[in-house]
Amino acid sequence: MLKYTVKRLLQSLVTVLIIVIAVFLLMRLMPLEGYFGDEFQKLTPEMINRKLDSLGLLDPPLVQLFNFLGNIVRGNLGVSTRLQIDVPVTTIMMQKMPVSAAFGICSTLLSLVFGIAMGVTQARNKGKFADSLGTAYIIFINSVPPLVYYFFIQVFVSKWFNLPMRYSLENPVSWILPLVSLSLGGIAGYALWIRRYMVDELNKDYIKLARAKGLPYKNIMYKHVLRNAFVPMAQYLPVSFLMTIGGSLLVEELYAIPGMGNLLVQATTKQDNNLVQILILVYSTVGILGVFLGDVLMILIDPRITLDTKGGSR
Amino acid sequence: MEENKKLTDQELFSFVEFDHDQAERTGYSEYSYWRSVLRTFSKNKFAMALVIIMLCLIVFAFFANSTARFPIDEIHRTDKLLSPDATYWFGTDTLGRDMWARSWYGTTISLKVAGVVTFVCVIVGVIVGCIWGYVRATDRFFTELYNIVANIPETIYLILLTYIMEKGFWTIVLAMCLTGWLAMARNVRNLVFMIRDREYNLASRCLGTPLPRMISKNLIPYLVSVVILRMALMIPNVISQEVTLSYLGLGLPATTPSLGKLLSEGRTKFQDFPYLLVFPSLIVSIITVSFYLAGNAFSDASDPKNHV
Repeated sequence: MLKYTVKRLLQSLVTVLIIVIAVFLLMRLMPLEGYFGDEFQKLTPEMINRKLDSLGLLDPPLVQLFNFLGNIVRGNLGVSTRLQIDVPVTTIMMQKMPVSAAFGICSTLLSLVFGIAMGVTQARNKGKFADSLGTAYIIFINSVPPLVYYFFIQVFVSKWFNLPMRYSLENPVSWILPLVSLSLGGIAGYALWIRRYMVDELNKDYIKLARAKGLPYKNIMYKHVLRNAFVPMAQYLPVSFLMTIGGSLLVEELYAIPGMGNLLVQATTKQDNNLVQILILVYSTVGILGVFLGDVLMILIDPRITLDTKGGSR
Repeated sequence: MEENKKLTDQELFSFVEFDHDQAERTGYSEYSYWRSVLRTFSKNKFAMALVIIMLCLIVFAFFANSTARFPIDEIHRTDKLLSPDATYWFGTDTLGRDMWARSWYGTTISLKVAGVVTFVCVIVGVIVGCIWGYVRATDRFFTELYNIVANIPETIYLILLTYIMEKGFWTIVLAMCLTGWLAMARNVRNLVFMIRDREYNLASRCLGTPLPRMISKNLIPYLVSVVILRMALMIPNVISQEVTLSYLGLGLPATTPSLGKLLSEGRTKFQDFPYLLVFPSLIVSIITVSFYLAGNAFSDASDPKNHV
């Protein structure tokens, strides 16, 4: 296990390095005009050169790359060059990340609780009205573009329940609608998986045996079926919790929540190279770490699974 | 029982004449895969109804845009923000442009984007996925490639492509294709992993079947139902993605209306003029929901286990 972990973490390190270098090179291919605003046409070549020099863009790309990597190794993540000029990247992230993470973690928890409850209810009443109702909800959420129902929640639901349409830190009531919007998709996702795996599991022989020997239905459901149905989902749990630091693009934009949501898009369109690179570094590290933790969690829940040996492979 | 006893053995049993042709014939000689798929699918009345609604809507969208009363970008200064009436069936927007024409034109654009992206991604995804899953030596390479491409945000591709090709239909299609095939390929790879060492594949391999034949005859027929399901789910996904990109201002150029564009434009005035948002939302919802449901039904029908 230890050997496997070390090997895998080293591999991940190489992957992250390649991703960061790829993004670094892609950002150097961006048009020069992008580093200036609308005033680009009016600038003289000297002024353009001076600005590019101050951004460090005139050095050879390899030198820039080594400076960048060297700074990261020394723990210096640099400053934002275009979005919030000369503000350290860490400061920007420290301001925005807690907001996004708070919303994200709350909504993931809500999705888990309601999604699993819904999936279990559906599986227990398979083929009955409750099941069809749940399926209709899942189909709607999975097919209609999120923007459409976010809009309708923001405009109509806020009117019906007299809730604020904008987020404010002081007013907890204004947190309700964004949280609900964020959770809808997750609920549908978890319910769909739980229902499918529970139905599969219910058809297996050991369940028939358990019923034949007279185990109460509730016990079978929670101790056997749900636990087994949970294993394939466990793999995605750490990623979904960790990735909440990235925030939600649309919901944060709609409710004016000062989170991470559109930071990457803004930084990319404004060509804030350093900020983009650091964000990708953080996201890809967290993402790869999340997948690894997911595998570990799966082993913990289901002792039959091992990662060490690849027995029988050709 | 009594009557049976009276019959002699000769009456009860008689020898069948040996016929060589008949001995060679096995069951289901008339079986045609795609005909069975169609037959199973057409039994599902609800799904058939959806397909008909969907086809009508698509055909109508392409026709409505040629029979609209006004061109999509004709500005009527006196008729700004009208509610739906006899002249402007879906009302007009902030510049006084006819929403009927714009909605249907936008629908065709969104459908074209979704169609092209899905087509390309499915073909590339299936081929790459088969190679990725079947040829062990390529697994490391493709996994690494997957990790890298999946972690670079689409925005970067979009901006770079816009820089190279300028903003337009093909730019957004290409950017979506660049990231879209990955999910498909990964899904196919996992399935191929499960079946690559089954006995029939081992036998083929021992007999020296070349790789292209292995993929086209042994692997792909097994994947049909899953691929169709993914394809049907991809269309609503691509439409949603286009809506999001347009909302961020990264989608199609300002002169080309798409459903996403209309939704994001409608949003600013939505409080007072709800019809600006309601019609595009309705169209997009009907299309995506029917694709989703019909796709699910068709993938069930294409699974041979559900035939007979």
